Parts: sequence; structure tokens; C-alpha cells
Amino acid sequence: MVAEDFKDFKLKPMKCELNYLSKSDGSAILAQGETVVLASVNGPLDIKITSQSMEKATLEVLFSAKGGKPNVSDRFKESVIRQTCETAILGCLYPRTGITVTIQELEDFGGLLTCAVNCTCLALLNSGLSMKHVVAAVGCALDDSGNLVLEPTYDQIQSAAATMHFVFDSRAKTLVTGFTTGIFSEGAYDEALERCRAASDLVFDFYREVVATYCKVIG
Amino acid sequence: MKVKIGDVVLPGDYCDEITADGVKSKVVLGPGLRKEVDHVYIMKAGVLRKRNPNTFWVDSYQKRYVPSRSENVIGIVVQKAGDLYRVDIGGSCTAALSYLSFEGATKKNRPEVQIGDVIYAKMLVASKDMEPELVCVDSHGKKGRLGVLNDGFVFKCSLNLIRKILNPICPLLESLKNEWPFELAAGMNGRIWIKANTMRETIAVGYAILGAEYLSDDEIKTMCTNIASILAGHVS
Repeated sequence: MVAEDFKDFKLKPMKCELNYLSKSDGSAILAQGETVVLASVNGPLDIKITSQSMEKATLEVLFSAKGGKPNVSDRFKESVIRQTCETAILGCLYPRTGITVTIQELEDFGGLLTCAVNCTCLALLNSGLSMKHVVAAVGCALDDSGNLVLEPTYDQIQSAAATMHFVFDSRAKTLVTGFTTGIFSEGAYDEALERCRAASDLVFDFYREVVATYCKVIG
Repeated sequence: MKVKIGDVVLPGDYCDEITADGVKSKVVLGPGLRKEVDHVYIMKAGVLRKRNPNTFWVDSYQKRYVPSRSENVIGIVVQKAGDLYRVDIGGSCTAALSYLSFEGATKKNRPEVQIGDVIYAKMLVASKDMEPELVCVDSHGKKGRLGVLNDGFVFKCSLNLIRKILNPICPLLESLKNEWPFELAAGMNGRIWIKANTMRETIAVGYAILGAEYLSDDEIKTMCTNIASILAGHVS
């Protein structure tokens, strides 16, 4: 019912190039509006015995910011992306191996983390690793008067009372990851969740478009 | 999302046609497909294909090799360990190749394989839980075309380019082999070994193969004629 009301929305224009890096096993560069992120995936690889897991592949995520100096917020982004990817990848098919995901921020004009999650997902699709489902991240902001803004710009985020980001899977559109900042009511959270869930369809359609462009010639 | 044969698919999609066929007879699920409790789910992004009567798979893009049984691969010997050679095949760990699995090899009569040699071998064991194992003989104890590859030139490419050029309907090798003589071994692990009479011809074969990755069949034929005419023009 809620999803019906928000049919006529648009996300920022997305542009993507797969296989952007020649040496890595899978890579993608994604622009969402003016935010640009480059992700590369390597694996399954041999890793040292102490970090091997008997049941599943060990996932390692490295986020490098534009400034180059690593800080605590980068570690937070890494753990969000790692946990999201762990649900998506079928790690049980590659036991005792390591998968390395490297993400490079190129431009940040708001929605960096959502762009990073989507870009990582595209890089994983390009790498040919087996996955349970694909993931789509959508962000929104709550301004002072209580209005929800989907895919906020940098200025809107700075002045927002709260920002919320959600990651959905492609099977049943269930929530995989959620991360929020600021103060908001329960009702606002639920509304934001439903709006983002509806918007995630656009991201999934975009993934399919990207894959369709190169599918004709690989057979 | 529900998909049909021939559709562009993403991980998490499911195909009910396969489940319906599975009720009638046995079906073979190839790479990129996985049966879960209720549906057959897709695991890789690409195109869903079917070969009659009942084989299904997903054509996907991939660069990293994941070993699978009975595929021919090109590896490089990296270590001699007792009665084993360790061979790098581009997977997550090296493969083992026993020195007895060469034609005519005995405990006394070891094959002449040095570290750094390029080997064309068949996957005997390839399971996710075990070290992959290679052999250089077929089940009759004959070497066939397997064994050490001498001279020549090895280069890497994506796994689906290998599948493309080895596909019987692909015109690339058909057109090239009429133009000038060369030898070629394509490993399913994304490595190609080529050997021609001159350096020029070797490079030409290499470029023709790499250039074919994103071309259609007709474009491949045109490219091969172009390369051949350039080569002939300069050589003569």
C-alpha cells in the first residue's frame, strides 16, 4: 500500500562500467549522480592458514578514502560492506580461500556508502563468484520539518536531522543491512524503509541492464 | 524474479521451467545453477541456456579459474616435492601432478620436467575440499596431446574467451588455420599456449584471439582476413 504511493520517483542517474581494471578478477566503476566509487574483487585466492575458515571463504574488505589516510569511519564502512557481502556470496562453495574486495572512493557528493555497496555488488557480478542474491542499497534523509528525501545531496545530508540507509536482497526484498544516524521517530523509520524498498527495484533493474549490455557477445 | 531460458539473469532469480522438467525426467544443472528447497536458483550473472534434452547452465563472465573435473588446463610447474610436482593452474591453490602420471613413466624412469615448464594436463580430482590433482595421460595410459609444452608463448585471457574459441561454431580457429600454420593449446583455466614459425606470426595469432573476445562471428572472419593480409603483405 505504501509502495503504491511512491511509484513516480527517480534515483540519481547511475552510470557503470564493468571490468574497468584489467588485472583484477572483477571490477566496476559506478557513478550515482556525482558520487563515484571504484571497486575491485580478487578471489578465491590462497590465504595464510591462520585466517582460513574450514566452512566458508574469508572475506576481506579494504576501503580507501580519497584523502588516503585511513580512519575510524572507514573501518565502519568496511564492516558494513563486509557483512553485507557475506550474506550475498555463497562462501560455502569456496572453503579455505580468501576473497578480497578493494573499494576506492573517487568523488563524494552524498550517498558514498550506498554507492560503495552497489559498486561492490556490480564488481562481484563481474567476478563470476557464486552469489545467493544481489543487493541494492538506497539511502534517504529526514530534514528538520520531517520530510523524507530519497537519495539526498551533500548539502541535504549536512542539514538533515537524520540519515537512513538500507540494503535489500533481490529475492524477497528483505532488509539485509540498515544503518542510521541522527534522531527520528519509529513512524519515520518505517516510512523510509518502505520508500527505499520500493526504490531498490530501480537499482535491480539497473543491474540487469548493465549485465544485458555485455551478455550478447560472451557466449 | 522468475526467469525463462535465454533471459539475462542475476543471482537470486529462479527458473520454474527447470523444476517442471525435473518432475518428468532427470535434469543436469550446469555452472551457475543451484537447487534449493523450493526452486532452482541462479548464482551467476549472465544468460540462462538450455541444451536439449535436459541440460541447463548460465553463460557468465569470469576471469578467475575454479577447478572442475576432466577439464584440460595449462599449468606452470612451480615446485618439485618428493614424487609430486606442484603446478600453478591459476586457481586458489596449486595442483598436484604425480611423476608417475606421464606416459611410460616408472619409478626408475622419471619424466623430464623442470621447474618453470609449461604443462598441458587434465584435471583428475577437483573438489572444493581437496587439493586438485592433474594427470598427463588418458585412461589408456597414452599421453595423447597432454604433456610438457616446449617453446611457444603463453598468455592469459578470460575463461569465457576460451569457451568461445573452443566452441565448434566459432569461426576464429577455422579462419586462422587456413592462413598460416601454428600450434595452439587452450586451457580451460584461461591460459593459451601458441607456437608459430616466426615471432611475427605468433604475435598475430595472439592478437587475433584476444581481439575476438567482444566480436560477433562475422566480425571475427573479417578480422582474421585483415590480419592475414597485413601479415602476408609485410612478409613477402
